[in-house]
Amino acid sequence: MELFANLAHGFAVAFSPINLLMCLIGALVGTLVGVLPGIGTIATVAMLLPITFGLPPVGALIMLAGIYYGAQYGGSTTSILVNIPGEATSVVTAIDGHAMAKQGRAGPALAIAAIGSFFAGCVATVLIAVLGAPLTKLALAFGPAEYFSLMVLGLIFAVVLAKGSVLKAIAMIVFGLLLSMVGSDIETGASRMAFNIPELADGLGFATVAMGVFGFAEIIRNLDAGAEMNRDLVQQKITGLMPTRKDLIDSTPPILRGTILGSILGILPGGGAVIASFAAYTLEKKLAKNPSRFGRGAIEGVAAPESANNAAAQTSFIPLLTLGIPPNAVMALMVGAMTIHGIVPGPQVMQKQPDLVWGMIASMWIGNLMLIIINLPLVGIWVRLLRVPYRLMFPSIVIFCAIGIYSVNNAPVDVILAGVFGLVGYWLIKHDFEPAPLLLGMVLGPLMEENLRRALLISRGDWSVFLTRPLSAVLLAIAAFLLVLTVLPVLRAKRDEVFTESEN
Amino acid sequence: MTSIRALAGACAAVVASLCGFVATSEAQTYPTRSITMIVPFAAGGPTDVISRIVTGHMAQTLGQSIIIENVVGAGGTTATTRAARAANDGYTLITGHMGTHAASVPLYPKLAYHPEKDFEPIALLAGTPILILARKDFPPKDLKEFVTYVKANAEKVNAAHAGVGSVSHVSCELLHSILDVKPVGVPFNGTGPAMNALVAGQVDYMCDQIVNAVPQINAGTIKAYAIATPERNPSLPDVPTTAEAGLPTFQAQAWNAMFAPKGTSPAILASLNAAAVKALDDETVKKRLLELGSVIPRPADRTPQALAALVKSEIAKWTPVLKPAS
Amino acid sequence: MADTMGHSAATATRNTSVALGFCLLAVAPQIFEFIWSIGTVFGWGAGRGPATVLISHATALVAGAPAALLGAIGGETKKASSDVLLALIYSYPLFAVAIVTLFMTIKSAQDYIGGVILMALALFALWASSDLQGMRGFSFGAGTAPRMFGGLLVALSAGIALTGLLNEGPALAHYAWRGPLFVMCAILFFALAIRPLGLVVSAFVSFMIAALGSHETRWLEAAIVGICLTIGCALLFPYVLGLPMPMFPRFLAQ
Repeated sequence: MELFANLAHGFAVAFSPINLLMCLIGALVGTLVGVLPGIGTIATVAMLLPITFGLPPVGALIMLAGIYYGAQYGGSTTSILVNIPGEATSVVTAIDGHAMAKQGRAGPALAIAAIGSFFAGCVATVLIAVLGAPLTKLALAFGPAEYFSLMVLGLIFAVVLAKGSVLKAIAMIVFGLLLSMVGSDIETGASRMAFNIPELADGLGFATVAMGVFGFAEIIRNLDAGAEMNRDLVQQKITGLMPTRKDLIDSTPPILRGTILGSILGILPGGGAVIASFAAYTLEKKLAKNPSRFGRGAIEGVAAPESANNAAAQTSFIPLLTLGIPPNAVMALMVGAMTIHGIVPGPQVMQKQPDLVWGMIASMWIGNLMLIIINLPLVGIWVRLLRVPYRLMFPSIVIFCAIGIYSVNNAPVDVILAGVFGLVGYWLIKHDFEPAPLLLGMVLGPLMEENLRRALLISRGDWSVFLTRPLSAVLLAIAAFLLVLTVLPVLRAKRDEVFTESEN
Repeated sequence: MTSIRALAGACAAVVASLCGFVATSEAQTYPTRSITMIVPFAAGGPTDVISRIVTGHMAQTLGQSIIIENVVGAGGTTATTRAARAANDGYTLITGHMGTHAASVPLYPKLAYHPEKDFEPIALLAGTPILILARKDFPPKDLKEFVTYVKANAEKVNAAHAGVGSVSHVSCELLHSILDVKPVGVPFNGTGPAMNALVAGQVDYMCDQIVNAVPQINAGTIKAYAIATPERNPSLPDVPTTAEAGLPTFQAQAWNAMFAPKGTSPAILASLNAAAVKALDDETVKKRLLELGSVIPRPADRTPQALAALVKSEIAKWTPVLKPAS
Repeated sequence: MADTMGHSAATATRNTSVALGFCLLAVAPQIFEFIWSIGTVFGWGAGRGPATVLISHATALVAGAPAALLGAIGGETKKASSDVLLALIYSYPLFAVAIVTLFMTIKSAQDYIGGVILMALALFALWASSDLQGMRGFSFGAGTAPRMFGGLLVALSAGIALTGLLNEGPALAHYAWRGPLFVMCAILFFALAIRPLGLVVSAFVSFMIAALGSHETRWLEAAIVGICLTIGCALLFPYVLGLPMPMFPRFLAQ
């Protein structure tokens, strides 16, 4: 079999001492970047790009790839411990992960996130090796109309993941959509709602808003009088570090389903990985016998999205490796790293650069192995971090967030904006609005609007394209089905009942 | 007498040489700390890669590290505004680009800087040729057929571009103004997604920089009609120039050049220019730039004066093309 | 929280203060621009001077907007100025809500006030996108989507406010001032200081300012942790992660 020969070749490349070292450095830096709030993978990969100048190209790319998926592992850590999602993909993890931490179950949550990520990473690596080339067709079959329908589906997921009132969740999504409109219009270049502030010309950054409504708002809320009691409770309650047998049994099916969803959605360039984590969470909530547990520390709500986002992180390499087209900003940086080394990736990169492609695929598996070996013992340390008195912890988080946000664009205005969104987030908490749908609306908003407009431009204003193109029609049908399930009055009454019950 | 004269002469010589030394000392001691080079686009893009290749060599010549700071936003104008307002001590430079230092003038009426008034030109670094590309099953076979086809079907064809103000957008606007057509322009968020749509056949054609296109053309997933430079490019020897293919008026290059804020001392500018010229003569730098498909400027085009003239002519070239569009 | 004794009297005073709050909210952008414009007197920032701001907003609120409204009814299509539009799109609807509030029994202050503030945000977005181009034939203009979502959010937030009137629910939660104030000050200080003063000074001072936000803070302990954290950050960000940022105050570095 050619495949085995290729994989053997890849492992031979990846197991060379220098590449193993690069993989380890990448995994470590990635974990660090993921854990530090604010600092995104894009900023770090960009900063580390010059270092790769002096390295052999294969080693350089193995390291950069390591940072990328390492950050997916690390990103869940801050989501779970302090409710600050560093990446769009870990927003959902924060919902149930942090709820688990509040119940003293941070250890199992972190461990399950790592285990789920590892399993998903292994499966996705095999998938890239075996089905990479045929799966490319999926990336090409997705035109603007399909993307629009996918984004509609994504927004419906956001409604489903809401804990409380559906009306409020929808309002939050629309608020997120409105926030995403700030900045330059893609088609005309007109500045929208930017008030001549140059830093707003390209819109509000995800990290800025996420740090604000999750990070700073959470800190401010915890400083409220009366909140100390809850915090002390969290610190005393910490039970076992590792998941129990029941946790593992509960998490196995979600990890499997999350992996499948993530692997498929990850291939789609632009937004696939974000939707993957939301879709996985929604699926688990819909399949669960008792959906009300979600949002209140259900381990499935951590296992499924974490597996999905890591699987998606891996399979998002497929368009890069088979088409030579970078599907997201981090991949675009990797293309930059390749071009610096004189390798311009294209459809023939697999044939022309077998060392690079198969070496990287093999290194992904090795990297995942390294990451779980690094991350499982770290769980103990992270959980111990929760015992640090909050009076010392919160100023530290403020500083880390501030430096992190500043580092993304070297823009002080971003830091101030994050502060403003911190106040907005505090207000949201006080009025029982949920920030997660807002963030999803913000991430998906531009994708939805741009693709809608592209689709209408190409079809010359004919709205029927969304229904006549089969893939798009299927996605819209699923979205409609989900929406009906969610807002059916009977079901809603039941939801409210469950809601008030568990609030008491 | 003679001795006094000799003494005076010696003194004069010493003073003269001292003066000379003082005059050059600023340039000789500069740089005393690391230099920041602002790149107005994301790391990994063509401008960034070119900057990194050239500054990597310049740092050796200057004996100080050059730190690249990527500042993205508003088609590069955010970064350029920041550079225009930076201290003119030679420690903050910018890699300007066809977009930031020429096309921005007509595109952004509220631009906070002027490419000619707020910057001192240092040197042209590299030009990136622009190609006319189309999906592989687009009916026209060559540029002549393409021109007639687009003119005949201006209502039906779709041109992709990577966002307002991007190289692919402004160069396609130039093509359209030459052809006197206004086809629908489908905007994408960067060259990656635009190329993806072209490979998938969702759009008909686009104009783009050579770097992104070469591997796709070689693999046959898209086709190239012509290259908008006077000469053919070594990385695509089979693609004719626009002059050869019958549209000589369409000439466009995405050039990258180094600028300093207005008022930077001439000695510093001279030493930076010398370092940049030296870098462009280096074999490794040359090889890397050529691998990107870039055109290395001829020695006569590397002077600050030549760059100033280029900026002037480019602004004059883009203003009539882009004014009605915005 | 909600007191059952003397219910009517309590809601009456509450309602007036809530209505007054909404009136304040209705002119909040105008007040903000006025405060901002004071800076231009000292040469900070750009924009209109305080006197111009005051006069143009006052005339827009009192005269311009009603005139434009009457003109629109009369069939005139004159382009209104941005200030008049702000009064028309943002302030007037909120004044109307404030008046309505006076005559309503608020069953759930949390939902009602939350909904109205969200509506204010949506109205503000509608105003901010009012100068953008709309549909051009089949293609969306820059303003189409923002106006669409702005309108949708107005409707949704009105729905939320309505549930606050119809359904029993939680009262307004208590807002603290100390935490938000000092955390915001720390963030602001960091943002303003990072460029001129460098990472070391701004990180440490911001840490101490943030620490003021909690009454539990013990100063010696906080200072020690702050110093350690600053050293850690100074090593971690520029060296381990290679992020370019100034370390020390600019006047010391040169």
